[in-house]
Amino acid sequence: MPRATPKPSHSVSRPRGTRASARPLGQADELMELAVDAAKSRHLPEFLERFAKRAARMLDARWGGVMVFRGRETDLYQTAAGEIRLESSQESAFIRLARENRREIEVLPIVAEPARGQETASPVLVLVPITSSDHEILGSLCLLRGRTNLDDLERRLLQALASHAALSLENFRRFSQLERSKRQWVEDIDAISDYIVVHDRSWRIVRTNRSLASHLGVPPAALVGEAMSSLRQIAETNSELPCPFCRDPQQAREEYVVASPERIFLVSTSRTPGLSDDDTRTIHVLKDMTDRREAERRYRELFDSIQEGLFFATPDGRFLDVNDAMVRMLGYASREELLRADVGTHLYPVPAARERFLRALAERGVLRNYEETLRRKDGTLLHTLQNITAVRGVSGKIAQIRGLMLDVTEQKTFQSQLQRERDFNQKILNTTQSMILVLDTAGLISYANRRCFESGYREDELIGHRLVDWVEASHRESFEAALETTAQGHQVENLEPRVRRSDGSMGHFSISLSPMRDEQNVVNSVVVVMTDITDATLLQAKLAHSEKMATIGRLVSGVAHEVNNPLAAILGFTDLLLENPAIPDDAREDLQIILHETQRTKDIVQDLLSFARQRPVQRELVQINYVLRQTIKLRSYDFASHGVEVTEDFDENLAPALGDAQQLQQVFLNILNNAYDAVQEAGQRGHISIRTQRRGDLIEVAVTDNGTGISDPERIFDPFYTTKQAAKGTGLGLSICYGIVRAHGGEILCGNNEDGRGCTFRVRIPVANETAVATIAKEAGR
Amino acid sequence: MSLHSPARVESPILLIEDEPSVTAFLRAALERRGYAVVNAASGAEGLERLNDGEYAGVISDIRMPGTVNGAEVHAWIQRNRPELCTRIILISGDTANSDTQALLARSGTPCIEKPFRVHQLLTVVEKTFGKP
Repeated sequence: MPRATPKPSHSVSRPRGTRASARPLGQADELMELAVDAAKSRHLPEFLERFAKRAARMLDARWGGVMVFRGRETDLYQTAAGEIRLESSQESAFIRLARENRREIEVLPIVAEPARGQETASPVLVLVPITSSDHEILGSLCLLRGRTNLDDLERRLLQALASHAALSLENFRRFSQLERSKRQWVEDIDAISDYIVVHDRSWRIVRTNRSLASHLGVPPAALVGEAMSSLRQIAETNSELPCPFCRDPQQAREEYVVASPERIFLVSTSRTPGLSDDDTRTIHVLKDMTDRREAERRYRELFDSIQEGLFFATPDGRFLDVNDAMVRMLGYASREELLRADVGTHLYPVPAARERFLRALAERGVLRNYEETLRRKDGTLLHTLQNITAVRGVSGKIAQIRGLMLDVTEQKTFQSQLQRERDFNQKILNTTQSMILVLDTAGLISYANRRCFESGYREDELIGHRLVDWVEASHRESFEAALETTAQGHQVENLEPRVRRSDGSMGHFSISLSPMRDEQNVVNSVVVVMTDITDATLLQAKLAHSEKMATIGRLVSGVAHEVNNPLAAILGFTDLLLENPAIPDDAREDLQIILHETQRTKDIVQDLLSFARQRPVQRELVQINYVLRQTIKLRSYDFASHGVEVTEDFDENLAPALGDAQQLQQVFLNILNNAYDAVQEAGQRGHISIRTQRRGDLIEVAVTDNGTGISDPERIFDPFYTTKQAAKGTGLGLSICYGIVRAHGGEILCGNNEDGRGCTFRVRIPVANETAVATIAKEAGR
Repeated sequence: MSLHSPARVESPILLIEDEPSVTAFLRAALERRGYAVVNAASGAEGLERLNDGEYAGVISDIRMPGTVNGAEVHAWIQRNRPELCTRIILISGDTANSDTQALLARSGTPCIEKPFRVHQLLTVVEKTFGKP
């Protein structure tokens, strides 16, 4: 432990009594010097050491120190080297005591004082807390001295010293805080990557930050005092001012973009009063926007170039930003025009749709592939598909709507066109007179159009059943072959099989089969179009028949005429020979046979000519019922005598027909004769019923018998077709009837009865129309 | 039997018929009853004969090949030899032709349809031309 040898002081050695008057003067000097020292000192430790020394001297202490508390740490400043130094254990003991001290002045006896001989009295430690103006204990003034008691003067002196110390410590602390914060501020602005430059009214640089200086490759201090114009290389506004960053010196704050060829800066300028009244500090902060600008530019480019509409909007229906695609889609002239539009009223055709959209967005926050129909500026509709994100504010309410919009109008149009086509097809399928079916590859019916059901087929007997089962057995094989051909991808047209109708009857159908393919072009079904052409077939048959008959007629007419000449010679010469008395009797008999056969030939030719007769019928009003009754009368005797019953079922209000009564009588007679022969042949009680009725513009006479029926109704009207015994007729009777009825513009039909017994002949003659009736009545009256 | 006999009753009957067998039969039947017969094998030849001579009457087939048929012979007689108008008999192989029908109905000209019996022919001839 070093010897604590207090420096002998001139005042210490003085006896207290004698120096009592002199001491205050010396102490006053010391205090004054101390104050001056405090004001001048810039370095705290040195000052505090001087202070400690001075305090020790003033209070006759062997050792003096000033402790400064910094949190838990304590700095100790004590009398200079060469004087008493404390051992470290002593030092920490003193510090502990000082920190524990709560009294204004504490005097503590020091027990373990090493004896060195001369100092026998036990010294004391005097502790005076250094308290700031706001009662914070900043530290402690510590003195070690031999005398134990302190008089009032000394106490006041100690307090004065403590307040001096407090004042100085506070000052130092403030000063260092100021220094620190100044340093910190410089560090801070140096740490800022933005360029900062401050200039005065004379356009001189007052300071810059490191970032700016290093951009120019010089230390910050080097720029101070330079003209602002030296910074032009960084960037400049277009103003004429000496500062490249100033635009309007009258503004307190400004913000604008300044560009150089390479870089773009956002310049924030603020102007503050300088140190003197007539000075103004202008502070420019240059934020390098180049990268941000680039990012923004890229974003903007993307924003503007994509084909999808992009928008930012407020929930109350204002666009904040939209891209060009969006403007185009909605048919607006410019972005600005669209930004002015009210979304709710201008874009939504119905307000309810907008409400629905907002509700959905509020609920879900995100809408994916949301379909919405909007209205373009010109009023046409725009079908869109939108992806929307709601941006919520702090309160959770939607603050912004961001969205992406696709124009799907074309797809929609296509879709609706498809729909229309589908409807159209459906209508065709439902209204066509043809039955349309779809068969799967197995030939099972998978679809049948409405017509099928209207025709009487039931769904359960069609769907899932084989169509071929409805085809007449004899046609099945060829029909199946046609299906097979279709399944191989070939169209089959105009099949004409007989098909069972829903009522069980057989009908003639025209059928075409078309293959239907899937995406892979594989035939996966067959479309069947079926039309019942039974009536058409009948008509065609009738036409063919009438054509055949006309041809026969022309042939017969020619033949008859040619036959008549030789016949006339044969008959004539036979007559002349018979008149010759020289002819022997046996020859005469032969001549009689020639005569007879010639007569027969003549009859045949006559009948042939009647059948082929081309002359127009006599046009007169004919009461069909009357003609029929006259005809029946001709045969009534035969009928009655052979037990053939004839019943009449006449429509008594039948309109007259226009025709030749005599020829018609011939027709009816012929039919009655046929019926009579048929019932006779059948060998049972014959019955012939005759019925007249009007059918549209025709009068129909139906003659039904219960005879043997006809083996081949289709040939019955052909000349020489007969089922009768050779002698009974020429085989031309019905052919002649046919010719007559045709000449009347009517038709004659024949068919076996459905009950399988006998047949029915139907003769249809047109009703005389009003003009004809009037004309004939007029002629009759002349 | 001269072609240019002046007496009417003595005058021959002009027979216009293209079919030789029919001509032969008619000539035989008429001559056997005492009529004189001049025949022409076509309508055109018939008209020539009519131009040249006097006839008790004309018997003409209706349908004949060539440019002049029975109906035209009838029309020529009406125009050029009206006194013979009531002394024409037409023979037809087929009365179906509507023009013929109309002609017969209009003029009341008698017509015999082939084939016919000898007595049918003579009845009409005697009634129309008188007895020979």
